[in-house]
Amino acid sequence: MDELTSTFVTESRDMLAEMEAGLLRLEQAPDDGDNLNGIFRAAHTIKGGSGVIECHFIENFTHQVENLLDLLRNGRIPVTGELATLLLSCCDQLGALLDTLASGQAEPLAEVLSRGDELTAALRRCVPPDEATEEGGVPAERPPEVRSCGGGVVSTDGWHISVRFGENVLRGGMDPLSFLRYLGTLGEILSLETISDAIPPAEQMDPESCYLGFEIRLQTRASKAEIEHVFEFVRDDCSLRILPPRSKVQDYIQLINELPEDTMRLGEMLLRCGALTPAELDAGLAAQQPPALPAAEGEFDDAQALPAPPIGEVLVEQQVVHREVVEAAASRQAAVSEKKAIESRMVRVQADKLDQLIDLVGELVIAGASANLLAQKSGQVELVESTSVLSRLVENIRDAALQLRMVQIGETFNRFNRVVRDASRELGKDIALVVTGAETELDKSVVEKLGDPLMHLVRNAIDHGIEPAAVRLARGKSKKGRVGLNAYHDSGSIVIEVSDDGSGLSRERIRHKAIEKGLIDESMPLGDDELINLIFEAGFSTAEKVTNISGRGVGMDVVRRNIQALRGTITVSTRDGEGSTFTIRLPLTLAIIDGFLTSVDKSSYVIPLDSVVECIELGAERLDRNYLNLRGEVLPFVNLRELFEIDGEPPSRRSVVVVQYAGSKVGIVIDKLHGEFQTVIKPLGALFRHLRGIGGSTILGSGDVALILDVPALVDIASRRERSVCLTTSAVR
Amino acid sequence: MSKTVFLVDDSATILLSISGILTKAGFAVEKAASAEEALKKFGASVRADLLITDLNMPGMNGIELIREVRKLPAYKFMPILFLTTESQQSRKMEAKAAGASGWIVKPATADELLNTIKLVIK
Repeated sequence: MDELTSTFVTESRDMLAEMEAGLLRLEQAPDDGDNLNGIFRAAHTIKGGSGVIECHFIENFTHQVENLLDLLRNGRIPVTGELATLLLSCCDQLGALLDTLASGQAEPLAEVLSRGDELTAALRRCVPPDEATEEGGVPAERPPEVRSCGGGVVSTDGWHISVRFGENVLRGGMDPLSFLRYLGTLGEILSLETISDAIPPAEQMDPESCYLGFEIRLQTRASKAEIEHVFEFVRDDCSLRILPPRSKVQDYIQLINELPEDTMRLGEMLLRCGALTPAELDAGLAAQQPPALPAAEGEFDDAQALPAPPIGEVLVEQQVVHREVVEAAASRQAAVSEKKAIESRMVRVQADKLDQLIDLVGELVIAGASANLLAQKSGQVELVESTSVLSRLVENIRDAALQLRMVQIGETFNRFNRVVRDASRELGKDIALVVTGAETELDKSVVEKLGDPLMHLVRNAIDHGIEPAAVRLARGKSKKGRVGLNAYHDSGSIVIEVSDDGSGLSRERIRHKAIEKGLIDESMPLGDDELINLIFEAGFSTAEKVTNISGRGVGMDVVRRNIQALRGTITVSTRDGEGSTFTIRLPLTLAIIDGFLTSVDKSSYVIPLDSVVECIELGAERLDRNYLNLRGEVLPFVNLRELFEIDGEPPSRRSVVVVQYAGSKVGIVIDKLHGEFQTVIKPLGALFRHLRGIGGSTILGSGDVALILDVPALVDIASRRERSVCLTTSAVR
Repeated sequence: MSKTVFLVDDSATILLSISGILTKAGFAVEKAASAEEALKKFGASVRADLLITDLNMPGMNGIELIREVRKLPAYKFMPILFLTTESQQSRKMEAKAAGASGWIVKPATADELLNTIKLVIK
């Protein structure tokens, strides 16, 4: 795909999203003109772009959509729910067409084409018959105007052009000379006379005004329309008369009479530029008959050569009347929300480039730290001072660079408008989506991976959460259900809430189900939270019937796994009959973590701080079994020295870092604790990617490499080991 | 020295295609995706021999941009072309009144585009 096409595809996807958002707003506010204009503009931009890249299947389809939108925009057809649905399907179709283009196929698949035909037919049906005829029709052409006649034919050939520029030509950015230059490209300028009669006395002259006129003789094979086209941009601001070759003397005389300059002087001019011979001029002026205007048609063939003014201009003239309307519309448009202007100030950057920048900034942080260290060692006060300034700047750069990857979550949230609309229609429920905190920012890579879990939660809320209208009314709630999406920052992490005001989770049913599925024992005492969070266990679904909207009971555990993969957590709180709220807590970025630095022998290891529960000291206890007694609790552990096969004698005093993951605690035995520090995660090279227990690496200020431990993997290793040891020992016995 | 054309359009596709044609024809091209951005650049270091702007843009529209640019002393006499479609005849008048020199009807072929530009600058 060439660059132009890929730009078009990206841009059109954005436009499509805008269109869709606009269409969804349309139902709530059918009279919002700005919104309609925005939708129209989006479609218009797609059409314009598809014309440029000559992708006709998109252009043709968008053209149909645009027609309908134009009628809507002008209030000629009313906004209805069906129409919005139809237009939304058109958006989907456009998306499919864009996919076709992006995948490099020349033609859309047959099924896409046939859907397109159906939609086109549906679009046509929405256009009232009287509009349909008007749409394609061309305004009636005015009969050609016949200017003058009589007298003999002038002997010289070549066109004669009289032009008097209006005063504002210069102010409009036009240089009169540029017209002459351009005329020269059409043919040969035989002669040219400059008319400077209009120049006022010096003290009255405005140097910014143009007072010039020209009499030009032009030899060209161009048509009159082409010559007129040269002056098209100044047509309203100048007086232009064009006489075709072999015009009659009378035409020239009429020209002389019409022009403001003195007749005799002008006659001389025409003589001088060779338009007329002296005899012709004399004869003509002698006749001095007032020009007959307009003359009877058909008197001479040249009349046909004078074309009617372009249709465009007729239109303009007709519409000049409406200028106030146009201006009012323009100023309204100016008030279009600030946000759009902000969007157009955006710069698109490839994510790779950003990643590279962040990587470099990471290096910079490391290099800065080591420079700092050396400066400290050298003991030179000035050096220490300057490096500390430097490292402060580096920190600022790091923050700014990370900020670059931050995107607002609003875009992700807005996708759900459509989901809620479609799903609620399908289920026959009336549901509103309330979005708050859309401007909250988080890392782009997190946002991307958040879409699916959020989709699941929202669909669950619609399907299982919100009750049917009858039930809602019986429970004394409003008929319209509410699904809320909220996001906010909370001490270094971002919190996203998906809430509904539906029936809430029934503890009884969860307990019942969990027992049925064998997840818990009947006698098992469970706290409230523990009970509710059972819904995140694999194979748990309380819905009595499986629908299209929510899944088949594979949902919640997948959601939790997705969130945990982002180093986040998910919890749920619910009140029976009043609704439930799912709270997702995520780190702001994946590139930098708060780590806990530890070491075994000479190697350093970083444990993500958010998984650390506590640190305890390990005495000289025997470590023949892989578990410890932590205040009466069984704590399985991994000995890093053993796991990573580090040689040498362990020191007599060691520490255990207790980490927690997905509800289970595990101890990690290390030699020494060094404390907290913020670190930039560098992914492992391809060679080391399969290593279990190591999630990445980082470089310390001293230049040493530290490995970042993969806590979930370590927890897994520890519990597996303990289990297998358990099995073998019991088998031996 | 090559002439600089300043191009303003909210559509990245149009920006890319027109700037491609112009660059090939030997013009230097400056781009802005919105009227606001264009004005900022005009206020700063950018020099242009010709401004080509779209009329229908979110935020400040092309007509306002033309009006504002004309207020800048350095650009009082700079040629300004606007991009328009057949259906926007009424806006031509408005844009002309705001100080535009002429227009280019979209979609334009490379020849149409270059001919029109030739008409307004050397």
